[in-house]
Amino acid sequence: MGVAVAPVLPLPPNAGQAERDELTHLLAEGTVRSGREVGAGSGALPDADLLPVLPALRNLLPHGALQRGSVVAAGDWNLLCAALAAGPVASGAWCAVAGIPEFGVVAAADAGLDPARVLLIPGLGPNWAQVVISLLDGCDLVLLRPPDRPPPQARRKLEAAIRRHGAVLVVAGDWDGAQVRLRIAAQEWAGIGQGHGRLRGRRAYVVADGRGGWSRSQARWLWLPDPEGAVTAIEPALGSTASEPALTGIAGQASTG
Amino acid sequence: MTGGDLAGGARDRRVLAVRCPAWHSPSLLARQAGQAAAPRAPGAPGALGAREFEQVVSAVQEFCPRIEVLRPGLCAFGVRGPAKYFGGEAELARKVAGAVTRLGYDCGVGVADGMFAALLVSRDSQGEEPPVRIVPSGGTPAFLAPRAVTILGEPDLADLLIRLGIRTLGEFAAVPAAEAGNRFGAHGLLAHRLARGLDPRPLATRPPTPDLAVQIEFDPPVEQSERVVFAAKSMASQMHAQLAAGGLACVRVQIQVVCDNGEEITRLWRHDGLLSELAVAERVRWQLDGWRPGRGPGEHDDGVTASGISLLRLVPDQLVADQGRQLGLWGDAVVSDRVARAAVRVQAMLGHDAVTQAALAGGRSPADQAVFIPFGDTDESAARRPRPADRPWPGRIPPPAPATVYPVPRRASVTDESGSLVEVTGRGQLSGEPAKLSVGGEPSLAVTAWTGPWPVTERWWDPEHACRKARFQLVTVDGGAWLAVVQDGRWLIEASYD
Repeated sequence: MGVAVAPVLPLPPNAGQAERDELTHLLAEGTVRSGREVGAGSGALPDADLLPVLPALRNLLPHGALQRGSVVAAGDWNLLCAALAAGPVASGAWCAVAGIPEFGVVAAADAGLDPARVLLIPGLGPNWAQVVISLLDGCDLVLLRPPDRPPPQARRKLEAAIRRHGAVLVVAGDWDGAQVRLRIAAQEWAGIGQGHGRLRGRRAYVVADGRGGWSRSQARWLWLPDPEGAVTAIEPALGSTASEPALTGIAGQASTG
Repeated sequence: MTGGDLAGGARDRRVLAVRCPAWHSPSLLARQAGQAAAPRAPGAPGALGAREFEQVVSAVQEFCPRIEVLRPGLCAFGVRGPAKYFGGEAELARKVAGAVTRLGYDCGVGVADGMFAALLVSRDSQGEEPPVRIVPSGGTPAFLAPRAVTILGEPDLADLLIRLGIRTLGEFAAVPAAEAGNRFGAHGLLAHRLARGLDPRPLATRPPTPDLAVQIEFDPPVEQSERVVFAAKSMASQMHAQLAAGGLACVRVQIQVVCDNGEEITRLWRHDGLLSELAVAERVRWQLDGWRPGRGPGEHDDGVTASGISLLRLVPDQLVADQGRQLGLWGDAVVSDRVARAAVRVQAMLGHDAVTQAALAGGRSPADQAVFIPFGDTDESAARRPRPADRPWPGRIPPPAPATVYPVPRRASVTDESGSLVEVTGRGQLSGEPAKLSVGGEPSLAVTAWTGPWPVTERWWDPEHACRKARFQLVTVDGGAWLAVVQDGRWLIEASYD
């Protein structure tokens, strides 16, 4: 957990008013966190209602973490889904990967998803909602690709189970009523040419839309994956053409905040 | 066996141990190969699996009904009664060795005072003709005396003893027991007992009371072994609850299965740690799988017995005070009860193999780099152990790894500008540059970047499994990146980098 903790608390009693204002500003922005907040999110899995995520994904999610009892839709199965699960698993959660027989174990492990804490259920059978409810009971996080679009009643039953067990459902696909939706709006592979080089990394423009208090959509350039297979943020200065995706192969219109 | 007085019960402590290190019979190997099981590296000796060992146990059980399975490949029984019946210890041991050898298994049989010495003798006797060795009653301390202290299986203690100048078990046994206890603690005292030819602890004198056994009757009798195994899981938790109420734990459990035609099979299973619920259920599965002839190892989903199973009974056999178990403070991926419960429930719905855990393995293609082990299976069978990942695998796909690895590669076609299929010659020459990719019959996409071919020749020494491939990485106009392979003139998509 690479949370930046600036050594600014407690303030010396003679600290100037300007410094205090600056600190309050930083705290409000979430750039600086107090020690108590950091302690709650590190080490063994806290009982708090937030599951920590990889640093690169923090800016894309409300509260910078996955909220227990919520549903996150992350588009079709891709590395972004595994990256979402990597943070909670690294801090002690168990994850179930349901209905994804082509789950790439090595790529997920490189992104930080420890296979020792993952249950794989490639085939869900006809009664898949019941299987997922059983998994939600045991695992803090379920990564699901629904075999079909659930009828509203089954969907409400699943959402009730998610809230009851305080789990997080990451859907590889779409989900009506998801609290957060992530999608890759544009992507570009680096390192490969016409008959030379090899795939080294992918620059992906990830857009997050939310509901309720998170109505403003967020967008970030990410290495998904970077040459080592990890998922990291691209500094705006390094990302090609700042924040606006000007690439070929734009899937859907990217809305920037 | 009354009381824990070991000196008085010397005759009761005579133990016969049977050890089967590996299979060696060509007929058995042929049978294994015929089943097209998981591919095995050539020359790798397969250790005896639990299910195969069941045959050995059945053979040994002809001589004594109460035998103890220490682990697959190793079983033992008290020799006193059977020796009288079969005309002496030597005669009995020869007969046991003969029965196991006839099955086609290599074995070693040893008789000595106490389990520790018997296991050592059985190891020595391997490869002899006949593979039998007997340490006469009372001769165990002398037999153990010249052995190195490292044989105790306590590396730290052995290291300490050697630095103190105590190199053999005889020298260690000469240390007064009280001093050994003071100096080396509880572990040392245990090892000291072993060195003196005694059992590690006084025999568990407390007989298991019948009310600790749990049983379930199936009416009508069930034919699916899956249901019996599932019942065993809940029964095991019930048994553990009863034991825990008395502050006890069992290191050995007797599993008794009765069929509706009166057939009965009873086994004792022992475990180094304490037997968990999952471990008990796993042993029930082994027992059922091994019992039914004509079924290969590994297939245990929809197995149907010739006759239904009408009763399953678990009897905790060797009880010890529950000392608790200390888990590592950090880093252990311990399967919590909550996770195990959820996994077992899903297994009951979808079958044992439906819930797996992945382990990283060595290999060149992305599909080879992970193996999937059904949840609850332990790594005891060496045949399923993954190929080591830390070896160099020349020709391995370079990182980053693809996020989507198709369990079955998808058919594809890659064409050049003129629309004809791109081909790779034996010398790695391309017939044209890839321009369009069509996966699984979908509309074709323009290829914006590509690299390859990366030729791979795998298992060229093995005509059946040898294959030559050439791999490509392709990027299509929609931003997708693909790992494609050409084999025998056909294009397949192995993975996608989404």
